[in-house]
Amino acid sequence: MKLLSSLLIFCSCSLFAQSSIPNISLKNLENQSINIATAFSEKDKIYVFSFWATWCAPCINELEAISENYDSWQKELNFEVIAVSTDDARTQKRVKPLLNGKDWSYKILLDTNQDFKRALGIVNIPYTIVVKNQKIVHIQNGYVQGEEKELFNVLKKL
Amino acid sequence: MQFTKIKLLPIILTSFLFAQEKKDIGKLFGSIESNSAYYLDDNRLGNFEFQNRLRSNNYLTLNYNYKKFTAGLQVESYEKNALLNLNPKYNGTNIGRFFLDYKTKNFDITIGHFYQQFGSGLSLRTWEDRQLGINNAIRGIRVVANPLESLTLKALYGQQRSGFTVSDGKIFGIDSELDLAKIFDFQTTALSVGYSLVGRDEKINIANPTFDQTTTINSIRFNFSENAFYLNGEYNLKSKDAIVRSLAISNDFVKAGNTTLINFGYSKKHFGIDATLRRIENFSFLSERIPQAVDLTSTSLNFNDMIMNFVPGLTKQHHNNLSNIYVFQAQNRVDFIDGNIMKAGETGGQIDFFYNFKKGTNLGGKYGTKVSVNLASWYNLPGRFNFFPADYETDFLGRGTKYFSDYNVEIRKKFSEKFHANLNYVNQYYNKKWIEGGDLVHTNIGSFEGTYSLSDKQSIRFEAEHLWTQQDLKNWAGATVEYNFSKKYSAYFWDIYNYGNPDPKKQIHYFNFGGAFRQKSTRIALNYGRQRGGLVCVGGVCRFVPESAGFTLSMNTAF
Repeated sequence: MKLLSSLLIFCSCSLFAQSSIPNISLKNLENQSINIATAFSEKDKIYVFSFWATWCAPCINELEAISENYDSWQKELNFEVIAVSTDDARTQKRVKPLLNGKDWSYKILLDTNQDFKRALGIVNIPYTIVVKNQKIVHIQNGYVQGEEKELFNVLKKL
Repeated sequence: MQFTKIKLLPIILTSFLFAQEKKDIGKLFGSIESNSAYYLDDNRLGNFEFQNRLRSNNYLTLNYNYKKFTAGLQVESYEKNALLNLNPKYNGTNIGRFFLDYKTKNFDITIGHFYQQFGSGLSLRTWEDRQLGINNAIRGIRVVANPLESLTLKALYGQQRSGFTVSDGKIFGIDSELDLAKIFDFQTTALSVGYSLVGRDEKINIANPTFDQTTTINSIRFNFSENAFYLNGEYNLKSKDAIVRSLAISNDFVKAGNTTLINFGYSKKHFGIDATLRRIENFSFLSERIPQAVDLTSTSLNFNDMIMNFVPGLTKQHHNNLSNIYVFQAQNRVDFIDGNIMKAGETGGQIDFFYNFKKGTNLGGKYGTKVSVNLASWYNLPGRFNFFPADYETDFLGRGTKYFSDYNVEIRKKFSEKFHANLNYVNQYYNKKWIEGGDLVHTNIGSFEGTYSLSDKQSIRFEAEHLWTQQDLKNWAGATVEYNFSKKYSAYFWDIYNYGNPDPKKQIHYFNFGGAFRQKSTRIALNYGRQRGGLVCVGGVCRFVPESAGFTLSMNTAF
């Protein structure tokens, strides 16, 4: 019975997805506070928030794969990737040099105490949310090689 | 909370679903996570010797937002019992966290449980890590205000969560951060300073104490960056407090503590270098001065219970299996084990180096080559130590007995549109004798990982690794194969084999296989295999888990 109830809760929750982004402020690499709800609000622009960490191999693979296509994709579509680092104080200082060492041109947000991650109920990373007109319009949970192309195809249809 | 109430949740949730269709009635969001295990007897690991083979940790988080108000609730259910070796205080089904929050542009007030970090977290960090069983949220009141665009102030008061209750100590804290770059309108320079004070007020149960019942940490920090260069630092000073020995305190061993943290680096296109130096002296900070005894061999500290601050081991967090056998845990406590092993803290540093050999260069090849190097070394504080009567006096500079070092290099290369690979080498020195008791261990670990795309949707990942050491459990070999059928389904098999163990009975394959399904925010994973006994570490904080075998099922979703 308990299992059944859990499954019921599980299923009824899966029916609807969270639609708006939380009203939270995070620091960027320049130590400035950025409000997520207001800073990424250009009309019709697509914002891809990719949750990652310096120690997460599939996250790095995903950001690496998007990075290789980023310039050409941005010419095709008005979109931006924001790489949300969930690194805590142990590994957070590695974010900036890693970013440059890998030649990534993403905007970075530091979710050091995981406030953003928690507000979205994220358990595993990589985890990607796509935001358009301040609404979450797509979620991708996990990453396998090649999935970045599929993601871009989804973005084009939004 | 009674279980009958939880049964109503699907109905409540469904009604919210319909409620959502109307405007301005607020929104409901949250998540569910369930991790269950069915433990089996194993012909090599032995029989399962604990109560209840079926155990599960379940978390339901519900938040409701209406205009400037947000209310939240987290129900946790550990039935029957929590997964092996989680804090035994997590037992049964109950409300783990609740809060009510009112937030405007420049003001935010929370009543109930909240998570908070000041600066790097060395003076205060409350957070949740379900894998480690950490949830040290403070239950009380918190106010965050931005009176000026350049100034953030925080104040909090409450008691810390411990299991489903709170600990005895009363916690208070204030934090301020001033963005000087904004005040002086710097264009390319970032400059900010911060100050915080955290206190714990707890009655002292010994006669005529020579120290205050309120223990405080004063902290200052700064952050500076100019173009490619950056520098930041933090200093924490803890007031005099009794040092706990064998779960007791006395007036004979009372000391203040401090930490110094400096981080700097230089980073521009293709290249980044980062260095961190940290010195920690007597910096254990708990919401109850004396840890609670849990059983004959462990205390609440073993379960990371009632910890107020975050002192991570500053080393690279490796992602392959064998590099995570000897993981360094920061030595922030004063710990006198015998006349030879007397620890007062740690000192050391870490350097990271990242470089991208560009496409079209000799070393870069057609797709570029990325290299990262990480070097970390940690030592006891230098000074004069006396076992009986217990006392010490440290020097600020210099180093004592070596605890740990990890020197590693990682090369990542894409060979074609379909294939990329990673090569890793790690050299570790783990002074097990000083850290947890045992041998001094010196390891060399090599690993190779490759990912090959079979089609747009299918890919295969494989990894081979080996750990060489003459000490402790000796050599290990490991392999992983992961096959991604499609975006939704994947399956894996991995095995680490302690073939070098001097005891043939312990030359065991710790194999695991399983599969995962994922769609949108939902992930379901099933695993069967053997769990290696030892430390499970996340973010440099570790939990000991015993060996076990069986099935695990994990489900999570967000809504």
